[in-house]
Amino acid sequence: MQVLKKKPEVLAPAGTLEKLKTAIYYGADAVYIGGNAYGLRSRAGNFSYEEMQEGVAFAKRHEANVYVAANMVAHEGDMKGAGDFFRTIRDIGVRAVIVSDPALIETCMIEAPGLPIHLSTQSSATNYETLNFWKQEGLERVVLAREVGMDEIKEIRNHTDVEIEAFIHGAMCISYSGRCTLSNHMSARDANRGGCSQSCRWKYDLFELEHQGVCQAYTDEETDEPFSMSAVDMSMIHHIPDFIENGVDSLKIEGRMKSIHYVSTVANVYRKAVDSYCEDPAHFTFQQAWEDELWKVAQRELSTGFYYGTPNEQQQLFGRRRKIPVYKFVGQVLEYNDASKIATVQQRNSFSVGDKVEFYGPGFTHVYQTINQMWNDEGEPIERAAHPMMKVRVQMDAPVKPFDMMRKAK
Amino acid sequence: MIELIATAESVNQAKSLLNAGVDTLYVGEDTFGLRLPASLSREEVKEICYIAHENNKKVCVAMNAIIHNDRIKLIPGYFEFLQELMVDSVTIGDPGVIHLLHKYQVQLPYVYDPHTMVTSAKQVNFWAQRGAKGAVLARELTYQELNSIATNAIIPVEVLVYGATCIHHSKRPLLTNYFSYTKQQNVNNKNLFMAEAKKPTTHYSIYEDINGTHIFDTNDINLLPYLEKLAHARILKWKLDGIYTRGQAFVEIAKLFVQAKQAFVDNGWSDQLQENLTTKLMENHPYERTLDAGFFLKNPEDVQ
Repeated sequence: MQVLKKKPEVLAPAGTLEKLKTAIYYGADAVYIGGNAYGLRSRAGNFSYEEMQEGVAFAKRHEANVYVAANMVAHEGDMKGAGDFFRTIRDIGVRAVIVSDPALIETCMIEAPGLPIHLSTQSSATNYETLNFWKQEGLERVVLAREVGMDEIKEIRNHTDVEIEAFIHGAMCISYSGRCTLSNHMSARDANRGGCSQSCRWKYDLFELEHQGVCQAYTDEETDEPFSMSAVDMSMIHHIPDFIENGVDSLKIEGRMKSIHYVSTVANVYRKAVDSYCEDPAHFTFQQAWEDELWKVAQRELSTGFYYGTPNEQQQLFGRRRKIPVYKFVGQVLEYNDASKIATVQQRNSFSVGDKVEFYGPGFTHVYQTINQMWNDEGEPIERAAHPMMKVRVQMDAPVKPFDMMRKAK
Repeated sequence: MIELIATAESVNQAKSLLNAGVDTLYVGEDTFGLRLPASLSREEVKEICYIAHENNKKVCVAMNAIIHNDRIKLIPGYFEFLQELMVDSVTIGDPGVIHLLHKYQVQLPYVYDPHTMVTSAKQVNFWAQRGAKGAVLARELTYQELNSIATNAIIPVEVLVYGATCIHHSKRPLLTNYFSYTKQQNVNNKNLFMAEAKKPTTHYSIYEDINGTHIFDTNDINLLPYLEKLAHARILKWKLDGIYTRGQAFVEIAKLFVQAKQAFVDNGWSDQLQENLTTKLMENHPYERTLDAGFFLKNPEDVQ
């Protein structure tokens, strides 16, 4: 049996402490979070130092790593306190910091020696000499631009030994990351300082000014379809072996703003796919169930981005959207009694007797159950679990485990 | 000393710009440079270099593209070509190109220019310590920020004083994709605008080339009325970009900035002159395009 030299890391987003724990529990080798400053998700849940401490301690117990994104492009005055910030998170035990602005890279190196630096995708690294440049500067890892193709990754790997991280799942900037200021100009919000208003997803009229003052509106005269730059999302679940064979060190999932339903599902799927391949590459077969599972948390169509060629119109959101079936996260298992076959569930969204629900857990376990009987905390039978966070006892046909998630089709 | 840097779209325009009095011509080809008025042949660049140097003027060549593997291999050869021409400087935006510049000990001064990314003096100085002789500042900076950067930077900084400002660069062929989807053909790629659905009077220029799709702000930049403030902040490298102002009109506008520069040299800058020059600039600026000062007059806290 072939032995793999190195298993890549599955790297998941964590917008909150709960998401951090969920991601790690569901198989992420590492998570990336935001601090209270210097990041690009000013509106996302960001971590206080105390929360970071708890997150890092949890990660250590599970042999996982925590990275902190500090990937803003700083203006004059924005860097005040950055040295303290880097030192503090280093001392908390954060494994590495993800940075794009060279000014912050320098600050981190000088003021917080020992804290490894990863170059953010925001810097749009697209060739191996760029990786060599940053390696020479002392960076540990480079997150590749989303515009890099699979053949290019292979070539990059052959020309540099700095660690490579690549995106495998999630939403994408339609521009080269960092090279879009639509939001600055259209919404007075700085895209490179966490203010992106996603102007690329708006609708536009497209017209020609051939003759002075005469508008020739393509959108009005020729088609009802407005112009837009909006991209579909990425999923590389069909191509995990390519990343592993080409020596990618870390497989990144996008989405610090997304729910624990998303994080647990996506981390779980990619964990399973990576493990399956690495266990026995020669006999690896793709499982349709993995893709099916990803669709349960998909918000847009899924594509392979630039990995196998320049994206065409199918990889942009034109026309009527296909309705993707929506799954609702309805609860989390707190405990399970083997003798009585009763699961105690914390409610996260309402569900009722008669609902067909699905329990899923780490290791890609699934239990399907039609709810026949359930009781509230006082042991009274109920028809509907209506109250947020209420404890519900559900009669099961098959066993489930604490921390398993429960979802149902909407 | 004020330096006027102007793009050139052809050998002929280059000659006119030199006659008009610009100090440095900014030229190149799309393989290595971004958003040039024209992708010139090596022969043309060679001729422009020759003419410029004969007139004791300078040439800066654009090498500020986002470079993928296929083109990083071409960089050493291009360096050789540019060194033979004795071009005076290049712009670079990709650290991989800087890596090669150092690796091959290429004696070409470089100006750091990755467009949107250069927003602090500390960042400018990072590149200065790695050999940069100058840096082009992002368009998304206010006067207060420009002033602070120029004060704290250890190398000269350059700003766009006239021309279109790019606000989005995608590697995707966004227009081709749209026209494929809507089955439209024969679209004039260089003359397109997009308008926000909610603001129909906006007109963002958009075009596609081998580097992807480029979108420009609804207004072009004109800092002619504020040159005194730039001079006061010791920001003395002024770039004129002719991507959307073609031919003789661009030369005429360059002449106005030459006049302005001369006035600063002679201590003859006045409101009267500024108004005269601005009026003439409006006469030569393309009719369908509008002008403003970009972020220059905003407060830093206006955009966050």
